[in-house]
Amino acid sequence: MPSEETKERIVKAIDIGRVVLHYGWIPFIIYVGYTRSNPQPSLIKLITPLA
Amino acid sequence: MASPAPSAKAPLEHPIPTIVATPPPPQKSSLLSSFASPVTSVYDRLSHWRTSLGLSNPGTTENLTKEVKTTHLTNFIFDGARADITKGLSMNPAFQVTHSFSLASQLSPASYNFGAVFANQNTFMQGGVDNEGNMNMRLNQGWTPGSTTKVATQLANSPGGHSMITLEHDYLGSDYSLNVKAMNPSPLDGSGIYVGSWLQSITKNLAIGTETLYQRPTPDMTEISTSYLAKYTGNAKDWIATAQLQPAGIVQATYWQRLSEKVEVAADLQVIATPTRRDALATVGAKYDLRMATFRAQLDSSGKVSALLEQRFAPTFAFLVAGEIDHFKNAAKVGVGIMIESSSLTPEEMGMPPQQQ
Repeated sequence: MPSEETKERIVKAIDIGRVVLHYGWIPFIIYVGYTRSNPQPSLIKLITPLA
Repeated sequence: MASPAPSAKAPLEHPIPTIVATPPPPQKSSLLSSFASPVTSVYDRLSHWRTSLGLSNPGTTENLTKEVKTTHLTNFIFDGARADITKGLSMNPAFQVTHSFSLASQLSPASYNFGAVFANQNTFMQGGVDNEGNMNMRLNQGWTPGSTTKVATQLANSPGGHSMITLEHDYLGSDYSLNVKAMNPSPLDGSGIYVGSWLQSITKNLAIGTETLYQRPTPDMTEISTSYLAKYTGNAKDWIATAQLQPAGIVQATYWQRLSEKVEVAADLQVIATPTRRDALATVGAKYDLRMATFRAQLDSSGKVSALLEQRFAPTFAFLVAGEIDHFKNAAKVGVGIMIESSSLTPEEMGMPPQQQ
């Protein structure tokens, strides 16, 4: 059984991972898609619904 | 110089048939293999017998009723007004962003959703965020052709909101499918929901399987339940019948048939017969795939009649009309929607043949 200190660390790590995933996942997809796309699209086309 | 070339080729054409007889595979003659040979020969014989049956993969447990679900409109119907604008930015690898607007729905307030999808041969990544900041994501990573790991999460923006994570691994063998799944697993106390399932082809038509659900909402409370699955596929794969039996007294039986290339029909019966509750719901539906339109109609035993038309006016523009009348409750729902797909790519970049000048 892990000690209380380890438990606290795990809980904290999960919380941080959650926040990173929440705010980082979609920018990560857009970054990966933007850099790997063939041909590379322009940024304005990426974000606006019109254009 | 032209005449010697055929004469040089001609003698080569005769020796080719003699090469066809391949030498026998080299025998492994080590000490280990001589000890293990009874085991390996039995294994070889079993696996040879198994491949000689010619069984095909039965599909995943999750997709047991996939055909019925795509024929029925339960998963497609909406009410109010909605607009989906999809922008394809790359074909290979696939990369697209989607803006979805929804308003005037009876069930949910007006919302905006932004989504992004990236997919290549092995990886599929999808993410969406709505106007309240709730986020959902999905990641599928294929390792080998039959082995895929999936992660899906839903994260609520508010602290008290409902967040969940699902970790899943699919393994598709030659004649069986395995799946393990963990929902909200906690590394601290082991709480969460765990599901394991196995679907095995027995004959060319019939596959049976089990699904075990292990629930552990708190560390000192566990619950385990096993349900049984069966799937019978017609010889020409034009009809599929499935049954799912849960020990609590829930039975689901489905039947799907492709009547012609354009018409599919499906029926679904769910019976709940527990000591506290007895209920049943039967649904029949049909789907028509026309050249520029898809039409689904459905009728169920709770008195609901519903229909959904998806009319494509151009390859990039589709118009949707959905309607549902609940005769027993005297209620109705109507939905209209548009779907626009725009692309920043030229036809050549999308893989179409270049236009003749």
